[in-house]
Amino acid sequence: MPVLALDAGNALFKSLADGQDPTAKLRAGLLLEQLGAQGYTAMAVGQRDLVLGVDFLKKKTKGAKLKLLSANLVDAKGQRLFPASVVTTAGGLKVGIVGVSPASADPKVPAAGADGSAVLPAGIQGQPVQPAVAAEVKRLREKEQVDLVVVLAAVPYVEAVRLAQGADGVDFVVQSHDGRGVGMAQRQGVSTLVPPGERGRQVAKLEVSVEGTGPFTDLSESNRARESQKLVEANIARVSERLKAEKDEATRRSLQETLASFQARRDALARTAAATGPTVGRTYLLSYVQLGADVASDSAVQQQVERVEPPGSAGH
Amino acid sequence: MSPRRLAALGLLLLPLVAGAAPKKLVLLFTGDNGGEIAPCG
Repeated sequence: MPVLALDAGNALFKSLADGQDPTAKLRAGLLLEQLGAQGYTAMAVGQRDLVLGVDFLKKKTKGAKLKLLSANLVDAKGQRLFPASVVTTAGGLKVGIVGVSPASADPKVPAAGADGSAVLPAGIQGQPVQPAVAAEVKRLREKEQVDLVVVLAAVPYVEAVRLAQGADGVDFVVQSHDGRGVGMAQRQGVSTLVPPGERGRQVAKLEVSVEGTGPFTDLSESNRARESQKLVEANIARVSERLKAEKDEATRRSLQETLASFQARRDALARTAAATGPTVGRTYLLSYVQLGADVASDSAVQQQVERVEPPGSAGH
Repeated sequence: MSPRRLAALGLLLLPLVAGAAPKKLVLLFTGDNGGEIAPCG
């Protein structure tokens, strides 16, 4: 099946103070190089990707297939610092990918960033997220006629939720900023919020099937309902067996009540499985690939990693 | 094109339209990597 690899941002540095670490630049350079070498199409620029400035990012990705995206980062003159989006075709689908960064918080304000904004380096301004995304999505839908829109949202979770709730024309919002790890895809108003995992420990795998138009349906709901239904069926069989053998009237009554409750649960799950499990239309299924010790390393990449972080070093 | 030829063309193309499979794609996402190059699981 055709594959598109995308990064939601905050990939390059551990923290905003990472610029002081002499290996930070080497790590960030290696990561950008490897994202490109591994065929990533795009990455959003997050707050923690800006530690060494915009020029570092541009220099490291000059001529690369990997595109760094941000619909709302501008310089002091209001000029956009990165492309807002990229359009690519895969599996016969024209996919529009938008990147967005946090809106600038005022560093002088106590608790700056609590509203979903973030403090950005001097000379870089993050414009409001939602209008920037809305304008780019409108352009992608009307001018580029894309089939699918994915927003790589390198913004705080609260901002990503607001974005997903109100972003007409967006199918998926992939959020990165707070290191929230893995989770379920959540329908938020008009689009679906997807957690991408964190710290290189897993890859989120979203299998998409598109036939016609309309909202996407989460196949995992019906899959979960079917799995739960099997467990409840097994419980029903066990309780029924006990009921057959039981002679005590009080215990029989209790078992009958339990049986009725399991049967009601089974019927509800069957309805969920039937209602949310279409084989046609627009569907998705989210899973995670864990990148543990059982996943073999590429020896050439490992050598490059060990040049930056030798085995036994603090970071390894 | 005559109506008969049009109808014939329609019949010819019908299996292609009827058999059009949904378009499938796998999107792989990473995020919040935080400078990690040697994750320890």
